[in-house]
Amino acid sequence: MAKIPSGKLPDGAGWQPALPKAERDTVMSATIGPARSRVDGRLKVTGAAKYSVEFEVPECAYGWTVESNIAKGKITAIDAKAAQGAPGVLAVLTHLNTPKFKSAPKKEGGGGGSGIRNEERFPLNDDEVHYAGQYVALVVAKTIEQARHAASLVLVSYAPEEPLLTMEAAEHKAEKPKKNNDEHVQIKKGDVEAALKDASLVKIEQTYITPTETHNPIEMSGTIAVWEGDQKLTLYDATQFVKGVQNILAHAFGLELENVRIICPFVGGAFGCKGAVWMHVLLAAMGAKVAGVPVKMHVTRRNMFVGAGHRTPTRQTLSLAATRDGKLQAIQHVSETLTSTVGQFTESCGARSTGVMYESPAIRVEETVFPVNVSTPTFMRAPGECPGTYALECALDELAIALKIDPVALRLANHADNHPIKNVPFSAKHLKEAYQLGAEKFGWAKRNPEPRSMRDGDLLVGWGMATATYPAHKMSAAAKVQLRANNTATVQCATHDLGTGAYTAFTQISSEQLGLPFENITFELGKSDFPFGPVAGGSNSTGTVGTAIHEVAGLLHKALAELAVKDSKSPLFNLKTDDIAMVAPGRIGLKNDTTKSDAYADILKRAGKDSLEVQSEQKPPEENKKLAFQSWGAHFCEVKIDPLLPRVQVTRVVSVMNCGRIVSAKTARSQIMGGVVMGIGMALTEETSYDPGTGLPVTRNLADYHVPTNADVPEIDVAFVGEPDFAFNPIGARGMGEIGITGIAAAIANAVYHATGKRIRDLPITQDKLI
Amino acid sequence: MNPFTYIKARDASQAVSGIAAKPQTKFLGGGTNLIDLMKMGVETPAQLIDITRLPLTQVEELPGGKGVRIGALARNSDVAEHSLIQQRYPVLSQAFLAGASPQLRNMATVGGNLLQRTRCYYFYDPAFPKCNKRNPGSGCGALEGYNRIHAILGQSDQCIATNPSDMNVALAALDAVVRVQGPKGEREIPIADFHRLPGSTPNIETNLQPDELITAIDLPAIPFAARSHYLKVRDRASYAFAIVSVAAALELGADRKITAARIALGGVAHKPWRAQKAEKELIGKTADEKTFRAAAEAELAAAKGYKHNSFKIELAKRSIVRALSTLTAMAS
Ligand SMILES: Cc1cc2nc3c(=O)[nH]c(=O)nc-3n(C[C@H](O)[C@H](O)[C@H](O)COP(=O)(O)OP(=O)(O)OC[C@H]3O[C@@H](n4cnc5c(N)ncnc54)[C@H](O)[C@@H]3O)c2cc1C
Ligand code: SF4
Repeated sequence: MAKIPSGKLPDGAGWQPALPKAERDTVMSATIGPARSRVDGRLKVTGAAKYSVEFEVPECAYGWTVESNIAKGKITAIDAKAAQGAPGVLAVLTHLNTPKFKSAPKKEGGGGGSGIRNEERFPLNDDEVHYAGQYVALVVAKTIEQARHAASLVLVSYAPEEPLLTMEAAEHKAEKPKKNNDEHVQIKKGDVEAALKDASLVKIEQTYITPTETHNPIEMSGTIAVWEGDQKLTLYDATQFVKGVQNILAHAFGLELENVRIICPFVGGAFGCKGAVWMHVLLAAMGAKVAGVPVKMHVTRRNMFVGAGHRTPTRQTLSLAATRDGKLQAIQHVSETLTSTVGQFTESCGARSTGVMYESPAIRVEETVFPVNVSTPTFMRAPGECPGTYALECALDELAIALKIDPVALRLANHADNHPIKNVPFSAKHLKEAYQLGAEKFGWAKRNPEPRSMRDGDLLVGWGMATATYPAHKMSAAAKVQLRANNTATVQCATHDLGTGAYTAFTQISSEQLGLPFENITFELGKSDFPFGPVAGGSNSTGTVGTAIHEVAGLLHKALAELAVKDSKSPLFNLKTDDIAMVAPGRIGLKNDTTKSDAYADILKRAGKDSLEVQSEQKPPEENKKLAFQSWGAHFCEVKIDPLLPRVQVTRVVSVMNCGRIVSAKTARSQIMGGVVMGIGMALTEETSYDPGTGLPVTRNLADYHVPTNADVPEIDVAFVGEPDFAFNPIGARGMGEIGITGIAAAIANAVYHATGKRIRDLPITQDKLI
Repeated sequence: MNPFTYIKARDASQAVSGIAAKPQTKFLGGGTNLIDLMKMGVETPAQLIDITRLPLTQVEELPGGKGVRIGALARNSDVAEHSLIQQRYPVLSQAFLAGASPQLRNMATVGGNLLQRTRCYYFYDPAFPKCNKRNPGSGCGALEGYNRIHAILGQSDQCIATNPSDMNVALAALDAVVRVQGPKGEREIPIADFHRLPGSTPNIETNLQPDELITAIDLPAIPFAARSHYLKVRDRASYAFAIVSVAAALELGADRKITAARIALGGVAHKPWRAQKAEKELIGKTADEKTFRAAAEAELAAAKGYKHNSFKIELAKRSIVRALSTLTAMAS
């Protein structure tokens, strides 16, 4: 790799990139897989792809919920008579008549192999109200209209109590969790206080606010529950974790694991809101049990704002101290977030941004969580990293301005070769190249650093940048393969395609690992009957399931070798299986003498087999403690702002990512674009606002909750740098579903500052804040 | 959603006799507002009369050069694209195109748009216990609640909701006349008298009687409206209700002296807000930014903001200045 200039630049000067194009191209072609169109594309555009609530189940009834409109208190009475007598009604479930759920699996850290419950309670099992919007009754009726109407007839009386709705109100309940999953979130390294008091250093201290945001995938959550007798349950559930749903439902109803089947071949977007088992899933199954018919529950868009999680609001205070030539001496990142009173969720803003990003002798991360009477938050695309990088990368921009150093140069000056806390080298880190290529593509060198200095006619123009980062997560998975004598194969894993293109990526990996043409592979997912797949979260699926495919391919080659060495007609007859591996597509042979080889199809035919089936074992992932694994990227963006009516328009984005190997170029690009689009929403438009009185959200539909429209999104130029990270896994891929959204809100906020000279430290940057 | 019956009307008199025959009956236009409100349980009609088949979909010139008539069942998108509207009343075409999404505009009718109800969160969602408009006497949830989208002009302590329509703002600037037919025959309601300020009865939003059918909207001939403009200020680039909007037309004489002006504001009041104070301030003055700002100040002098919407006062002033500047630039 060519050298990249770093350090301080003369005042006002841009930063000049230097990596030769030829060198870049070589690296990139080794890293990026072929641009395949989606294998399920046709099914989707023709409507043939069946999403969970679209399955047609005979005799299916519909569930509709009644929700509390107080945030805390007790239900004192429920009058369900009118509802029970309404046309079509099969059952009305309340806490007064709902059977008790049996038990919940023991909580596990990490990937939550046992299933994920963010809201750690069972619905309709007591009279307590913990948040506004909590389901307090369920009506099951023959049609959805009948269910909805009957639900409106249920009269609930409450004895309300004073709710805790804000950080201020919940101050006395604040907690400082030691760990989030398995990760330490309170970090202390070096003497932060001393550096922050050192008069010779340049300092920044600022507080940044992000509001509650709601996932809003196109497909709302939903479940169809079908009982066969009282011991067998099938759920068609929109989920990121079929095995988790299976385990939790088996516990909740006291069923044998194998008697609970979860089916979910397609997901219409999730972003984290379908990772946990939420109350509607349990209610669908309970409603079906009580009413004695299958029950479908499709969570309304309105209830997606209370019943399926959200990103918690955050308040983050960043304190930086740096030498005059831009070397960070201390970073302190104090973040405060909300959780609910019925679930512990930590949005690790500091640990997941400041805890990995820059080299500094002193780092402190402090995280405080306030439990409030609001529905439970959950993972939302890059939980922690996303708001964390927003705050950190804005603070870095403020520091660059205070130091009069170019923002890219400042980041290069503080580049971390080693993990700043674990103090081991990062594996296959190519962040410098990302800055470089991004700056080059964007034309960063032409930036005049002076705020309000760049114009397009009457419009103010601002250029901003920020670093993106996301950890490489690894979980465990198993896979099963059936190879047929006609050289086709079916590969199965209980993993998921959230709309990301996972079907396509896994087909590509299977093709490569099995040594069969892409067209000959059928990859199946989304069924709990298949071998274990972890939650589709933490950008882990490609790497984790890819590793399982790698392992099962090895087992298949071994099984083929065992047939061949016993077959006198095979060129591999009587050889040692350990010496045999795949030597060419469709062939196994001697590793050190590839002239001795045999075709899969021939081996099977001579053995008189139509097919051969093998399955890998689920085992804990191998940990490499000598390296740190993390993905990186750089966003550059341009905004244009009318000074009189200052709505921010993003007009250009360049995003360069370093995520190890890019398995599927087309779908990978879409993932980064999607992250950027969501980041534009975070920066400029998205906010779930709450009524201060009732604690109910007020922006509960897509007219009031503003996700970006096409008109808000410019051309997004995505590029990848780096090399396959084989130290991380045999696929070399670190995953890239989430990194796109990290940093982008900061890049936009920084551009807004550059355009206007106004630093807006609370998102979203709506025009009222710029007036 | 309440159980209801559904019938279709073939002509206006059938529609009018139908609505008189059964209490709690409502007309169904494009349904883009009414059906949503029925699903939420805000509207609970016992019967719907589908009027989309009434022969009231034309946009046509009135005899004697008196202006243009728009049938009440004309779809928003068809009116927006109609050459008579685009040429003579561009402000109205622009207002339509700034509203909602193409799909919604294809469904929405002009009559329905006139009557679309406020987007006040507290009104729209019966989970909120307080709303004088939905449930008279229950109080106003927005007053002390989240009121970013609420009114700054003409509101009362009983209600601070806004009229969300873009079309209505243009109609207010154009002095449109609403033609209605009821059991007692036809009558005309000038747009200024069509919508009401909330006062102590925010549940009564218009002076249309519940048994009256809107048959058409008449636009008087206003030659200088050929140079008119609709400015919509919103929170994202497309598909959002106005936080503030301005419909304006200017007539400029020699030396850029303003000889006539029409200004109406959207997103600021319970009805489309005709800015008469600003108009008066402009007449006889030179069309420049200083004049525009003075006019805007005059109109907004009486404005009152709340916890989350005070920014609208300055935003409305700036929007008036921008809309008038745009018109002036078009003139030169
Ligand atoms: C997501 C979304 C975004 C939107 N964004 C905007 C926007 O940005 N700007 C904007 O201006 N609007 C917007 N709208 C509102 C839209 O313009 C209105 O819903 C539409 O104009 C209503 O027309 P309709 O024919 O569908 O009315 P309907 O829903 O059919 O009827 C509305 C009311 O009018 C009554 N009615 C209808 N026709 C007549 C008649 N001829 N005589 C008497 N009464 C009648 C009905 O009984 C009902 O009470 C949006 C709507 C949605 C759902
Ligand atoms: S502003 Fe009007 S519509 Fe909104 S809550 Fe108050 S009374 Fe109801």
